[in-house]
Amino acid sequence: MLTYILRRILYSIPVLIVASFFVFWGVRTTYDPTAKYRTSKDAARVIAEKKKELGLDRSIFAQWWSWFTNFLHGDLGISYRTNDPVSSMIRKAVWPSLQLMFWGTIFALAIAIGVGVYSSVKQYSAGDYAFTGLSYVGIAMPPFLFGLLAIALLVTLPVEKFHLSQPIFYSVGLHSEGQSGFNLDYLRHIALPVLTLTVQSVAVWSRFQRASMLDVLNADYVRTSRAKGVPERNVIFRHAFRNALIPLVTVVALDSAFLVGGLVVTEQIFSISGMGRLFLDALTGGDAPVLLGWFVVVAIFVIVFNLIADVAYGVLDPRIRVG
Amino acid sequence: MTLKHGKALRLVAIASALALIAAACGSSSKNSSGSGSGTTASQSIPTGGTLTIGAEQEPDCFDWLGTCAGSSWGLWMAEVNTIPLAYVASGVGANLSYIPGPVLAGTPTVTSNPETITYKINPDAHWSDNVPITCDDFVYTANQQQTSNDIYDRTGYVDIASVTCPDSKTVVVKYKAGKTYASWQNLFAGTVGIMPSHILKGKDRDALMKDGYTWSGGPWIAKWNKGDSIVLTPNANYWGAKPHLTQVTFKFLADTSAEFQAFKSGQVSMIYPQPQLDVVDAIQQGLPDANTVYNSKTASAEALWINNAKPPFDSLPFRQAVAYAIDRDAIVNRLFGKLGVTQAVNSLNPYVVAAYSDQNAWSNYKLDLNKVSSLMTGAGWTKGSDGLWAKGGQKASFTINSTTGNKRRELTETVMQQQLRTAGFDMKIANQKASDLFGQTLPAGDYQIALFANDLTSPTPGECNIFCSSNIPTPANGNSGNNWYRVNIPQLDTLLQTVDRSLDDQTRMQDAKQADDLMAQNQVSLPLDPLPDIVIWSKNIVGPVGDNSIEGPFWNMQDWGVKS
Amino acid sequence: MTTAPVLPDVDTELALPPGAEPVARSNWQLFRRRFFRHKLAVVAIVVLLLLLVVCFGASWIAPYPKNQTNLLITPGGPSAKHWFGTNALGQDMLTQVLYGGQISLKIGIAVAFFSTVVGVFVGAIAGFYRGWTDQGLSRLVDLFLIVPELAILAVAIERLGRSDNAFIIVLAALGWMYIARVVRGQVLSLREKEFVEAARASGASGPRIIVRHILPNCIGPIMVNATLAIAAAVIAESTLTYLGLGLQPPATSWGILLNQAESAVTSTSQFYLVFFPGLFLILTVLAVNFLGDGLRDAFDPQSPH
Repeated sequence: MLTYILRRILYSIPVLIVASFFVFWGVRTTYDPTAKYRTSKDAARVIAEKKKELGLDRSIFAQWWSWFTNFLHGDLGISYRTNDPVSSMIRKAVWPSLQLMFWGTIFALAIAIGVGVYSSVKQYSAGDYAFTGLSYVGIAMPPFLFGLLAIALLVTLPVEKFHLSQPIFYSVGLHSEGQSGFNLDYLRHIALPVLTLTVQSVAVWSRFQRASMLDVLNADYVRTSRAKGVPERNVIFRHAFRNALIPLVTVVALDSAFLVGGLVVTEQIFSISGMGRLFLDALTGGDAPVLLGWFVVVAIFVIVFNLIADVAYGVLDPRIRVG
Repeated sequence: MTLKHGKALRLVAIASALALIAAACGSSSKNSSGSGSGTTASQSIPTGGTLTIGAEQEPDCFDWLGTCAGSSWGLWMAEVNTIPLAYVASGVGANLSYIPGPVLAGTPTVTSNPETITYKINPDAHWSDNVPITCDDFVYTANQQQTSNDIYDRTGYVDIASVTCPDSKTVVVKYKAGKTYASWQNLFAGTVGIMPSHILKGKDRDALMKDGYTWSGGPWIAKWNKGDSIVLTPNANYWGAKPHLTQVTFKFLADTSAEFQAFKSGQVSMIYPQPQLDVVDAIQQGLPDANTVYNSKTASAEALWINNAKPPFDSLPFRQAVAYAIDRDAIVNRLFGKLGVTQAVNSLNPYVVAAYSDQNAWSNYKLDLNKVSSLMTGAGWTKGSDGLWAKGGQKASFTINSTTGNKRRELTETVMQQQLRTAGFDMKIANQKASDLFGQTLPAGDYQIALFANDLTSPTPGECNIFCSSNIPTPANGNSGNNWYRVNIPQLDTLLQTVDRSLDDQTRMQDAKQADDLMAQNQVSLPLDPLPDIVIWSKNIVGPVGDNSIEGPFWNMQDWGVKS
Repeated sequence: MTTAPVLPDVDTELALPPGAEPVARSNWQLFRRRFFRHKLAVVAIVVLLLLLVVCFGASWIAPYPKNQTNLLITPGGPSAKHWFGTNALGQDMLTQVLYGGQISLKIGIAVAFFSTVVGVFVGAIAGFYRGWTDQGLSRLVDLFLIVPELAILAVAIERLGRSDNAFIIVLAALGWMYIARVVRGQVLSLREKEFVEAARASGASGPRIIVRHILPNCIGPIMVNATLAIAAAVIAESTLTYLGLGLQPPATSWGILLNQAESAVTSTSQFYLVFFPGLFLILTVLAVNFLGDGLRDAFDPQSPH
């Protein structure tokens, strides 16, 4: 197992390096760092100076290399917009987003597995159809609409209808003024953002779980078990479930990147200053250093997440470990 | 002058107070209060209590003199409340008076030949560390404005010859011989203010201020929690009227619908939303425990800005024909009718400088397809079989630029596209990020027409900045001019320069009116709507709350309180 | 219910030795018969065809010209003249939803198709051949995986401009990895099974085994993925519009309509602005889903119903 993990880490490193180059190339050619100097006095001279200063006259490969070596030293550059070091901006933004992703994944997994197994076992029942319908509403509704609807129904409506002095759930930030730490106030703040972040994932994962459970439940070895007289409950949980989890694990790991994208909308609506907001501000401001740093940090996170998934793979299906 | 990110271009213009002191409310120079909604200052305000206010934008930095501070919200939340301003646009609602701020003792005196302004500083005025506010601070500020590299707008300071101190509380500003700056009230006011020389002199001003600062010359001390909020607490050493509230928190809420929900559910007690259609709809849906104020007589004017140097808009008949092809009143009525704004504005000068404009200059430009036809055919265009005008093989086709993510502007463009098509013009839409539009496209002239709003930061005229031919961005002026519209009319240049320089108010008003009419005749750009201000606050808040289109609705928070 | 054992159909499948997984024959008759037994799938096909016809035939069917505004009428809900109501500009929502469907369906189906084809191809090859092929392809998958789709999309749209083709290219290029990984995992599992041994023993070549023996048993996740890809593509487009990076007017799509209706979500009087584009989107997604169910059942003769 250890060699397996080490090998996976080893393979991830070149991937990270290559990816960082492509992202660098993409960002550098899309956002011109000297753009904001075009309107200054004597623009041509200032731009020429800036180009030299920022090293923009070198080849794209050389530029990337110096950025990458700086990155290895922990220096991600300075933001164009705020002149703050990118690494400190990211460090501040990571913590709230990690909280959302962590709770979100747990919550979504629990619901998705439950719904998926139920739907597959009781396929074509009323319950199955109900869950199918709800899943598709979840999938087909843009997250920003879902978030706003959730706020309207769960935050504003109770306050207005029952004349509450405080809302049951909050829609602004992660803590009330002066509060911190893991308490009821925190849960009331984080509930709706987590729900909004994961509604699509829950719907998707439960569909996958259902589909792969169905595939497995109809497989020959399951038939054999049934034919041998194994109780249905054991058939489902000891034989079918384990194998049906494999595609789900894949999808959950892959979705980590997707969830990061979902952070952009969620943090916007719930006013949480995490990685999603950081990305959006950098994008609208053409802030290339922050974008680059952001992509690399996210890439590392996704790689780690996928490593965890690969370990889970290995646990679920020993034959795969050989690969 | 460089430009800020965000939805509007901000001008610093030349001042005159006289025409604006028409408001019924008199204001003392100590306490600013005004007419408008909310209770007056004379009612007893309870002490204590905190307030949470929703803010739609977070500033990039707190260095108000520098290029990264072109953020209206930054000024409204923090600058007005911590930086002493020589002149303040006081009052709420449509009638603002541009009067000396609490930091001055009485009105400054002005003499000419050369223009000399003498300020007397309030003897009680001091910074939060008890160091008095002195002439040195004015000297430092003027020096920065003239010599520092990182300055947002130098207008008015460039021609100052000297700033001297007969005593520590008297300031004498003298202009160079032959140079005048008629809007001198903008000095040490607006986006600049007065900077503490004892803290900043000799140091890197930008580094010390950009992330926030703990000192203050106003009623509040500001703390910036980046990404989250700005928290104001009372300045214990403020010499003027101290705040009743113990804390004000501005929370950054980027999404307008979410902001509304936060207000309705009590998570914030006040919001100042942009007049998007969602907002108008949300207000219509009902806000029971709230006071709502709409003010359409603002410091903003949204218009269809034209690049007069780029074909096909380099032709006067073409510009006029396009103006007659659009039903501006219908558009404005649809966008803002529910707020009581049913007609388009007819001047490129916002309402706050009405005295220095002709607010009806463009009123002849109404939907008139016959005029369109006669103007276009007169200029040699003929209508093709596809219904579009064509001349010399070229179709009457052009592109409009505006900011992305602004639903109201997209709807405006959609309607205009249709109206223009009916009239025989093909308009394409190409929206971009605000930073690209204001930072590159407009200055470089890479556009034909653009839809955006101008915001004034002081109730003073000064359109030479954006319409004089000497301010067209060219290599000669280092590409730093603000005449993005490439307007080049010699007679206009003369008129606008007089408005900038003449110390005689009557002359300024006359010439400004003439300038407006001249611009309307030449259809240099097409005014559209006034971008109304909307202020919504909970009935718990007492005090003179209302809209102040120049300084922002938070300018007099020291006079507010909350009912328990 | 899957508990009761089902007697296999009376057809040639019975001839196989016990324990071996029956292989889906390319017998068109059998396939069609199993498919049509799944009633919802039939309904789904009809609904999908209807949607396609109605949307792409909008120029003939829609009651008003595309995007036509009318500032003289007050916006309102469904009425005799405007079945789906009108929006703030007086545009007829039925017309807008139909024309919007052209872009949304085009983007959704194209993205689903391309990403699925590429993903299945890559995943099957990687999983079946293993070794260096697998390593190389898996690294390629990793490369595309470690960046968030929305972020890349935002930057790419900046570069490529905001056309629907740009959306299709970028979304497809970012969407194939999921199904590739899933198929790879499935193929890795299934290749060890006896029926594959049997097929190999009988001389079938690699690709033949993949296509005719292994893939039909992966249909489940493949079809689910295709379904979700359609919805995801439309949602991505709508989210980008929300963030200010979407298609420009005069283009219209369900995503744009949903975005314009942002404030309508919380209002009862205006909910119709959200309801109709959302309804069409859900119908599309549901139809593809049940179509997928039908296809899965059609490929697998032992699925009970």
